[in-house]
Amino acid sequence: MMKFELKKIFLKPVNRILFIILVLITVIAGILTVKDVQYILENGDDIHGIKASRSLEEDRNKWSGYLTEDVFKKVLKENRRIEKTEKIQSKNYSKKQGIEEINSIISLAFTEFKEYDYYKVNSVRASEAGDIYNKRISRLKNYLDSGQERFSDAEKEFLITQYENLETPLYYEYAGGWKALLDSQYMLTFMTILVVITGFLVAGIFSDEFQLKADSVFFSSEKGRNKAIISKIGAGFITVTSVYWGAVIIYSAIVLFSLGFGGYGCAVQTGFSNWDSIYNITYLGDYILSVTGGYIGSLFILFFAMLVSAKSRSTVIAITVPFILSCAPMFLGRVTVFAKIMALFPDQLLRINKSLDEFKLYEIGGKTMGFITIIIPLYLILFIILVPVLYMVYKKTEIK
Amino acid sequence: MELKIKGLTKRFGDFTAVNNLDITMGNGVYGLLGVNGAGKTTFMRMLCTLLEPTSGTITCNGRNIITMDSEYRKILGYLPQDFGFYPEFSVEDYLYYIASIKGIPKTVAKKRVKELIIKTGLQKAAHKKMKKLSGGMKRRAGIAQATLNNPEILILDEPTAGLDPSERIRFRNLVSELAEERLVLLSTHIVSDIEYIASEILLMKDGSIVHSGTAEGLVQSMKADVWKCYVGKAEVPALMKKYKISNLKTENGSIQLRIISEEKPLPDAVKEEAVLEDVFLYYFGEKAGVDNDEI
Repeated sequence: MMKFELKKIFLKPVNRILFIILVLITVIAGILTVKDVQYILENGDDIHGIKASRSLEEDRNKWSGYLTEDVFKKVLKENRRIEKTEKIQSKNYSKKQGIEEINSIISLAFTEFKEYDYYKVNSVRASEAGDIYNKRISRLKNYLDSGQERFSDAEKEFLITQYENLETPLYYEYAGGWKALLDSQYMLTFMTILVVITGFLVAGIFSDEFQLKADSVFFSSEKGRNKAIISKIGAGFITVTSVYWGAVIIYSAIVLFSLGFGGYGCAVQTGFSNWDSIYNITYLGDYILSVTGGYIGSLFILFFAMLVSAKSRSTVIAITVPFILSCAPMFLGRVTVFAKIMALFPDQLLRINKSLDEFKLYEIGGKTMGFITIIIPLYLILFIILVPVLYMVYKKTEIK
Repeated sequence: MELKIKGLTKRFGDFTAVNNLDITMGNGVYGLLGVNGAGKTTFMRMLCTLLEPTSGTITCNGRNIITMDSEYRKILGYLPQDFGFYPEFSVEDYLYYIASIKGIPKTVAKKRVKELIIKTGLQKAAHKKMKKLSGGMKRRAGIAQATLNNPEILILDEPTAGLDPSERIRFRNLVSELAEERLVLLSTHIVSDIEYIASEILLMKDGSIVHSGTAEGLVQSMKADVWKCYVGKAEVPALMKKYKISNLKTENGSIQLRIISEEKPLPDAVKEEAVLEDVFLYYFGEKAGVDNDEI
């Protein structure tokens, strides 16, 4: 039965075209992400992609290992040496690429919270190298005390505890593949397109019976109000799951096979954009969290679209659901009034990798937690609730 | 097999589509005859559990069909008036899919699909996409799906709509063949569809069964006679206003009329034997043949 439900989806000419488009978008997104990796040669020319990644890997892995006080001192020394010897900016930058990420950590540690001074590392003394991890905590405390943002005492305590719980010294090695993948400017667009296109595929699973006027035969058949509905739900689940994981795996494989799998065990805080993160996880953890979150978000959004399809009996209305749920909050979230509510919209699950450095906190049962800790189980529960609701709505259908 | 309908009513807001029906049906062919909008489709949808009655019950061998749920649908075959299908499926795929939602085991389905493809003359079209079939072929696929599970109750809603005369005859014969040892309820507004195959005809008007019986019985139930007469063209409008005219034919410059009337309409009118079409006109009057909105 489910085989036929899947056939109904994938035999539709429009769905076949969309499927091909999705494969193309996935491959293009992967290639663009790889191409985004840049390496500056000493003559100022830049190279991109796999070659650039290999050069960066070679330069940066010279510094792989735990970032102890000694390592920071050596980096500061190397930085000073380059500063003294290379006055031409392109050469200076080219030579610093090996220590660039550690330089960023030092600069971030010694600038105020929510600020960044690229050149700060140049003024940090070797005697201060032992303070880097403490500085990360003290600048947070200063920021919390400054009153720039309003946090409750419980929230402040939670943030500080998370910072203190970060295992130091951090382990560092070249993680270009993971960083390119998770910090990619294309990832969110790719995820949104993925959900929207999958929305087209599944939007008709329930409503097409009405649109094609096949509903009377369907609902008057023996299994029409039980097993046949389960097979529709199953077909929806298989479609969402296979299309999502298929696309994510292809995209990830293109990036990681091109740029390398190394650095998966590094803490996300070794990356420039995640130094302030309260989530003490590795890049592999970040990836698993991001793709799992994306999957649960997709399941919820697309099953909600299927519910709308079953209730409204309109494929067109159902198609708008993934658009609304994955795109609208991006704009409405910018309006202060909606910000807090929109922060819990399912689109957030499609961009967990971009939210690691955000201080979005929620208090449940007196316990403070980061929004990622809440949003994934929240939508998993909502998705689980959606399934029987969808079943019951379709089961109770009357053909007037 | 006994299907008992008691006090069956369906209302949509203020509109009563089916009004307090009481019928008992056993094996045989039942023709449900009525103009468009009489409530035939609503009645049939309730019989197929597609609509819940506002009041009243339908029982199958003494058990309420709503509580019987899938147990009832297991013995049901239904060909709806607006028969829809999956355009990208081949005829064979379509029938296999319907077999699966009818709970027919794979091995049985294989046999039944083959049998029915032959029976309905769809051998050449078996691998054709449904969207490429002609209207007649689609109807044949429709009857094949309705009978896949060898149903004890077969409900056919306007099965001949849109068919040409030869397809209609073919269809009628097919229904006759299928009618053995099962209950077939066939709705139509075309008298000839059921005239020769129905063991009982139910005349439905404004949601109620106004008369029922065999074709002969219904003809006898008419309290009027059928008259044949010839008139001039100018007299026709006045006669049409006054009487129910079941046929009008131009013959050698004059008009031959078939009038239904309790009294002799014209001095030279000759009494004719009534047929089911006359009964249809007698009971449904000016509404007969008028395409109202489907209800």
